Amino acid sequence: MGPIRYKGIHSIIPPYMLEEIAKRGKPHQQDWALRNLASAGFIRGQRFALGFLPSAASVGGKSRTVYNCKHKDGQPPEGTLVRKEGDPPSKDVAVNEAYDGAGATYDLYYDVYERNSIDDRGMSIVSYVHYDVDYDNAFWDGREMVYGDGDREIFDRFTKCIDVIGHELTHGMTQYEANLDYSDQPGALNESMSDVFGSLVKQRTLKQTAAKADWLIGAGLLMPNIHGKALRSMKAPGTAYEDPVLGKDPQPATMKDYVKTTSDNGGVHINSGIPNHAFYLAAIEIGGNAWTKAGKIWYIGLRDRLRSRSNFAEAASATISVAKALYGNRSKEMKAVRNAWKAVGVM
Amino acid sequence: MRVSIERSGGFAGITIKTAVEEKDLSPDEAQKLQGMVEEVDFLNLPEKIISPSSQPDRFQYELRLEESGRQHKVTVSEEAMPEKLKPLIKWLMEKARQAKKGKESD
Repeated sequence: MGPIRYKGIHSIIPPYMLEEIAKRGKPHQQDWALRNLASAGFIRGQRFALGFLPSAASVGGKSRTVYNCKHKDGQPPEGTLVRKEGDPPSKDVAVNEAYDGAGATYDLYYDVYERNSIDDRGMSIVSYVHYDVDYDNAFWDGREMVYGDGDREIFDRFTKCIDVIGHELTHGMTQYEANLDYSDQPGALNESMSDVFGSLVKQRTLKQTAAKADWLIGAGLLMPNIHGKALRSMKAPGTAYEDPVLGKDPQPATMKDYVKTTSDNGGVHINSGIPNHAFYLAAIEIGGNAWTKAGKIWYIGLRDRLRSRSNFAEAASATISVAKALYGNRSKEMKAVRNAWKAVGVM
Repeated sequence: MRVSIERSGGFAGITIKTAVEEKDLSPDEAQKLQGMVEEVDFLNLPEKIISPSSQPDRFQYELRLEESGRQHKVTVSEEAMPEKLKPLIKWLMEKARQAKKGKESD
């Protein structure tokens, strides 16, 4: 069964009605109502208050579905169910990449941070592949992930990179937690969180330590004739590509080069280079596997400390405070996090 | 008439832009552009067409039209794009793609 769609109703059902449906509806209705409450920001901070809700809305463990849009666009995306949890691999490589990438992302959050899916209530992870024609993008639409095949001149298919998949799923997680505004510094933090956990999904899958990882986002996504190794570099923001057609990677590494712009919702994909680099520096100084300690500090910061309007300075003090709580005052970890934010000019 | 487009954002965060001068177009193309601009009543579009809940990694388009001393700028996010604006954006993005191809072979 496909996800239930109530097209167009999303914005007009008042929250008290959604709450009723979440409490008394059939399981699929509860799931839908909870998602709507969450995407409208009503659940944030009320996770424990919602403990009375029946658990039927959560399916329990890992539950993935992949739909094929067959090159149609549309909002919400529409497609045919082609693979669900436990099904054998498809002949379609994009389907399998979306399925496996969602699995690796689920596993990082579940195994390391004890989080049960996007909403921490076992929400189904739904992916749509082959969206639109030559579509050079992937996005999170508030409920599911959507992937284009790329134009094959500049971009290859967007499911190709496991960090892209981790990036999109993390947008979902952020929506259910800090719900960072998607503009200016909160938006750049939102983007950075997606790059951080996208990269950690890749590093954990490849069993790479912080020192060994490439810290690139979207390596292999650019076609071979394009001069660039990836779309972003957390290790050296601004160096991922330089190409006559694409121009140069515009990311700054420090506040000195912060880009003021109205494009890209206030440069959310540009200034994310600054918190990205801070995470990289912290992970390198702490050493070992980046997802174990640095990742945990960032995860708890995002889950418990950040709010929708949080800026870079607040992210810095939140992560330093989490590092202190987890590893002790003046611990190596706390110092590493503080040094990192200082190095990028946020503190 | 001069129309320009800038697409920013998307997962890649790569900005693509181009500008089209009506006088540089073939009569057929000029007529097509004129038709699309009139169809959407471009000069009377709101300056910002955005969704109340923005979708991460969607594209953002900035359209600018200059005609006999008048100028109008419209920012539209992909998830909020009105149907009637789609043909103009698609046409302009195709122009941007062609301009890029030209650059590639330089």
